[in-house]
Amino acid sequence: MSVALDPRALAAAGDGAGEPHAGRATLWSDAWRRLRRNRAALVAGAFLVVVGALAIAAPHLPFLADPTAQDLRLSATPPSRLHPLGTDDLGRDTLARVIYGGRISLLVGIVGTLVSLVVGVTWGAVAGYRGGRTDEVMMRVVDVMYSLPYIFLVILLLVFFSRSLVMLFVALGLVQWLTMARIVRGQVLSLKQQTFVEAARALGAGDRAIIFRHIVPNVLGPVIVYTTLTIPDVILQEAFLSFLGLGVQPPAASWGTLVADGARVLALFPWLVAFPGIALSLTLLAFNFLGDGLRDALDPQVRRERS
Amino acid sequence: MIRGHPRRVPPPPAAAAAASGVYTRRVRTILRVTPIAAALALVCAACAPRPATPLRSASASQRWFGNQKPAGERIFRFDNQAEPEDQDPGKSSGQPDGRVARIMYEGLCVPDPKTLAPLPGQAYRWDVSADKRTYTFHLRPHLQWSDGTPLTAHDFLWSWRRVLEPATAARYVAIMYPIRNAQAFNQDSTHRMRIEDVGLAAPDDSTFVVTLQHPTSYFLSLTTFYTFLPVPRAVIEKWGDQWTRPEHVISNGPFVLDYWRQNDRFEFHRNPRYWDAAHVRLDRVIAYSVDDLNTGLNLYKSGVFDWLPSGGVSAPFIPYLREYADYRTGDYQATYFYSVNVTQPPLDNVWLRRALEWAVDRDAIAKDLLKGSRRPWGNLTPLGYPGYVHPPGYTYDPAKARACLARAGYPGGKGLPRLSILFNTSEDHRRIAEALQAMWKNVLGIDVELSNQEWGSYLEATTTLHYQIARRSWIGDYLDPMTFLDMWTTDNGNNRTGWHSPAYDALIEAAEAEPDTAKRLAMLSRAEAIVLDQGIIIPIYHYTTNELVKPYVRGLYPNLLDVHNLKDVWIDPDWRTRETPVAEAAPRR
Amino acid sequence: MMAFIMRRVLLFVPTLLAIATLTFFMMRLAPGGPFLAEKDIPVAVKAELMKHYGLDRPLPVQYARFLVHAVRLDFGPSYKYPSRQVREIILEGFRVSAELGGWALLFAVLVGLPLGVVAAHRHNSAADHAAMVGALAGVSVPNFVLGPVLVLGLSLSLFVFPPALWQGPQSRVLPVLTLATAYVAYIARLTRAGMLEVLRQDYIRTARAKGLNERAVVWKHALKLGALPVLSFLGPAAARIIMGSIVVETIFQVPGLGRYLVNGAFSRDYTLVMGVVLFYAAFLMALNLVVDVAYTVLDPRVELA
Repeated sequence: MSVALDPRALAAAGDGAGEPHAGRATLWSDAWRRLRRNRAALVAGAFLVVVGALAIAAPHLPFLADPTAQDLRLSATPPSRLHPLGTDDLGRDTLARVIYGGRISLLVGIVGTLVSLVVGVTWGAVAGYRGGRTDEVMMRVVDVMYSLPYIFLVILLLVFFSRSLVMLFVALGLVQWLTMARIVRGQVLSLKQQTFVEAARALGAGDRAIIFRHIVPNVLGPVIVYTTLTIPDVILQEAFLSFLGLGVQPPAASWGTLVADGARVLALFPWLVAFPGIALSLTLLAFNFLGDGLRDALDPQVRRERS
Repeated sequence: MIRGHPRRVPPPPAAAAAASGVYTRRVRTILRVTPIAAALALVCAACAPRPATPLRSASASQRWFGNQKPAGERIFRFDNQAEPEDQDPGKSSGQPDGRVARIMYEGLCVPDPKTLAPLPGQAYRWDVSADKRTYTFHLRPHLQWSDGTPLTAHDFLWSWRRVLEPATAARYVAIMYPIRNAQAFNQDSTHRMRIEDVGLAAPDDSTFVVTLQHPTSYFLSLTTFYTFLPVPRAVIEKWGDQWTRPEHVISNGPFVLDYWRQNDRFEFHRNPRYWDAAHVRLDRVIAYSVDDLNTGLNLYKSGVFDWLPSGGVSAPFIPYLREYADYRTGDYQATYFYSVNVTQPPLDNVWLRRALEWAVDRDAIAKDLLKGSRRPWGNLTPLGYPGYVHPPGYTYDPAKARACLARAGYPGGKGLPRLSILFNTSEDHRRIAEALQAMWKNVLGIDVELSNQEWGSYLEATTTLHYQIARRSWIGDYLDPMTFLDMWTTDNGNNRTGWHSPAYDALIEAAEAEPDTAKRLAMLSRAEAIVLDQGIIIPIYHYTTNELVKPYVRGLYPNLLDVHNLKDVWIDPDWRTRETPVAEAAPRR
Repeated sequence: MMAFIMRRVLLFVPTLLAIATLTFFMMRLAPGGPFLAEKDIPVAVKAELMKHYGLDRPLPVQYARFLVHAVRLDFGPSYKYPSRQVREIILEGFRVSAELGGWALLFAVLVGLPLGVVAAHRHNSAADHAAMVGALAGVSVPNFVLGPVLVLGLSLSLFVFPPALWQGPQSRVLPVLTLATAYVAYIARLTRAGMLEVLRQDYIRTARAKGLNERAVVWKHALKLGALPVLSFLGPAAARIIMGSIVVETIFQVPGLGRYLVNGAFSRDYTLVMGVVLFYAAFLMALNLVVDVAYTVLDPRVELA
């Protein structure tokens, strides 16, 4: 069900490596200026801030019920004054479960993405920068992993290691890093050939200086864009795993588990799928809008046209 | 009532709860979702042929779920749920495999559709020796396979011996162990035992003699089980593992396989060479392998299935479907329980186990969580054994639970390490585990974590005792408490608790050898009392069958083993007008 | 060109070997085994089954035997469905999955591509925004929600389509829609992005300046390059979509290939899993190769390395 973006597609769609940017400050302030003009991205960003704040503050919200408190006599009741979003079949408050579910889903999305980011950027940068046989071998590993059906990998990871939340992050991150590695490698390869990098090297700059001064800042743009677009993907993947029953462990629940469980009783208790579903979809939507906005803001070609 | 049989189970207590506001509100929600379905049902009702006589039948006022138009007068379609794994009856295991096998093959006896009492099948009569250890079956004359070759006692001899041959690796072979020397032969790695030593013989073409190890009171019922069905020797020898393919297979039952596509469906047609073919009223049977519960229900509603067998309805839908006349329920010979690994502290402490037992509110689980779709059950063995007296089971008693916990050395739960409940990934198991977690927390003040594993890891953990408390369930194979009790003997592969007791083993062994039924049942009751007292399992509920049957289907009845003979099934296109279905009164034999 | 294809095909071999080795050992090391059951299988029977399938041999021997047979595309019988050869199961499931996936892909391209082109052509217009919101919504609804909602609406309430099963042309509609929605969205987004870039290019400006019909400029000249991102997306996407979707196959009871992988992994059906994984990998690599070749045909700027 996942549709991972192919790196080549992504590179062709919005490529930040076209021109190197020496002045870092102007790059980011330019980008920020452009982003501010994109209303959709701003609204999306504001929405995400609200969702994130709710998720972080959940345990301290006075009006919120305990998401694990059961009341079997109030099993699966539609929205009411006491439970504004209704209850699930164990009599737990749906509103509380949706907000706490957001905690888990956002955590899974962000941490899973960070895992993929760390592994993918390192892998791609090393392969691209070293080149030669190292690059060959490293990219062959990526090819092999890429050709394995992703769901099979995740199942095996979850079978081998105990089913903790940490494992879920790792499993999801390990699937996503491949694309990240390819993107970063492509960027680094083309940057390496750029005159300003060669100039720096001729001036006696070491590998470390070149990587951090010249390469990282220029790779950052596409990485940020891809990261923003990866988070919703990871959240969706977790939802898919929940459909297979491989999501987070009860009594914790993510939006994915809520939606997957709710979909099974759609005809009976529509509120159990509707509310977490809306929360999930709006959040994914917001991440995508923000990602698109960031891409436009950081894309040099769009910039050239608009400025 | 259009169905001639009384309901086996009184309406579950939760039916009263169903009348409460919460419930009716929910029903209204559903009706809002499907107004068109309701409208169509009305249209259908209006189009129905006008009855010649005024209707007294309840069918007109009853509400039916979804489409009520049969596909034809002689075709029957149902959901077989999971794709059968092995269509070779001698090797198969599991309900979907069994349903397919029973459509195609017939054993020496067949179960009465309601009571499950063994009725003549391929054997038209049998004699039992005075010591109850020798059964002589007399086959009907001129029995045939569906390709016209004669079926004789030698076919049964060959089929049963094949199951017992170690090389066949039949997964359910243990059910044949009551036959004399069967276990010894099947497990004999030295090959000193010969197949001739097993208590099976076919002195002539129409006589089949079985000698048993012990007088086994339920042996005749066993002959209705799929492992005991005859299989076609010539076809198997020719095609090997692929003999069950539609293009090769022949069978001796009411129907023959025509078509099969994996994860899709089986199609059968009437076997004209079946001895009672004249009374088979269906020409075609289609068994779909739809394993998703929602999809199955949708297909039933839209009229693609005439029957959604038990197991095809997910628990949350039961209170809703109970309002429809399609819904039928009955007791099922199965219990749902948690088993406890007694080999490791702290659960090696019997008082701690007892504390857990008394702290489970089984009524709340069965009535509130499962909406009355299951019967709360504090015993191991289920209902349905005439003459068997259940030992007192566990009930919900918080005070007693806390007293046991204190006696175990953990007053108020203090000092008890965190326990872990294992269950295999499933929505239904998860909900019960979550409820238990909350109950133990509330009553005993102890913390329990939930661990959910996918099927393979779960099985590995339970069989190798790498768990503390694990969700289990057990479905009886035959109608006798023994099918629930011999599994707790030492080293039994189904024990999976690490618990063992020489006294218990001796009791089970004595019960096996005991010819007197009353004495034997008393022994078994004592055995069950031991299992409960030791707290090695925490019973939760008694299974019920929950099935949906379209109004025009006749001849299907709920029973304790949930086995059904489609030979007796027929489609009644005049169901709206017919008051007492003709063939509904009693099965013909 | 031929040399390029040959070299890529040769590269398949070590990649597939690595995948086979990885999968083989990971499956064998996973806890549980194919012959564990809720109702215990007697020890003697289990031993016999292990012997029958050669699982009693040392792991390296099993591995070697597996490789020898795999070269001939013989994966042996499935452990869970012993009357069936893995090869048969794959081919039968693949026929169904390929049909379902093929329709879904076609639908996704036929809807997504024009949507993306229109959005790019009318950049920042209301049509553009509407198309992109729609596309993003398409990606943001999990298909295990979309499927049941479609069934409830179009099948159980309106009786337009059967709720499930793979019988007759009407039964194709809902699974194809459910499967295609996310892909429509992705293709629309990629097309839009690609087209935006191309429409800025000099040669398009030249073409416009020369007075070429705007429709021809957009739909003929620009689309040829603008659709390239879609093309490279289509390689892996087609592999995934055609290999079947466990969600769609479960909800609509489609006898495709998707469920075998997941169920096989769960039930430790070693042979079935090996077969499906290798088939998937080979199929994915082949499609990627096709895409790369198509790239050179469409885009003169790309040279095959």
